[in-house]
Amino acid sequence: MKNTVRTLREARGLSQGQLGTALRVSRQTINAIETERYTPSLPLALALARFFETTVEEMFDVDGEQARE
Amino acid sequence: MLTESRRVSRWSARWVMPALVAVVGIVYLLAATAGGRLQLGLEMFGVMAVCAIGLVLLGRRSETIRGLAGPERDERFALIDLRATASTAVVLILAILGGFVFEIARGHSGAPYLWLGVLAGVAYLVSVAILRWRG
Repeated sequence: MKNTVRTLREARGLSQGQLGTALRVSRQTINAIETERYTPSLPLALALARFFETTVEEMFDVDGEQARE
Repeated sequence: MLTESRRVSRWSARWVMPALVAVVGIVYLLAATAGGRLQLGLEMFGVMAVCAIGLVLLGRRSETIRGLAGPERDERFALIDLRATASTAVVLILAILGGFVFEIARGHSGAPYLWLGVLAGVAYLVSVAILRWRG
């Protein structure tokens, strides 16, 4: 699913590992989310949104994903 | 910064899987020894010991191994583990069904594949029932 995680992370000067540590997931999981290979669970999506002080809807392109389906 | 308890937890989690593999190797060794096949037991223990050491050494370098078997297991690695386990089960069940059909075609009873197939079927139905009940 398309998302703005990479943009938000880089804007804060964080590495994937640092973001992963903050959210208690692996660096690989952050990378998989950013490269659209993994759609996070609702709790992790909420944690990401809370971390970046935004909303899940703004961070993840839910409408685009539904349009493709 | 890691708290002391979390540091201990990460340390112990790193050793859980290698220790489990080593214990299984010891069980193999004891079972083979009880059956009078010490040589086979030592070989099986050796294989499991190499696997345990491999997990420890590779776990230091590979994030994937740490994720699947160690302290960095998160929801994505849990999902990968679940899917890999399901795939493994499908392969095993297909092998059991194949063995059962082969044995039946040879005029045999189908054992032990019959009972392994029954066990797999019952385990699946019980799992579905429990998972459905838990929501």
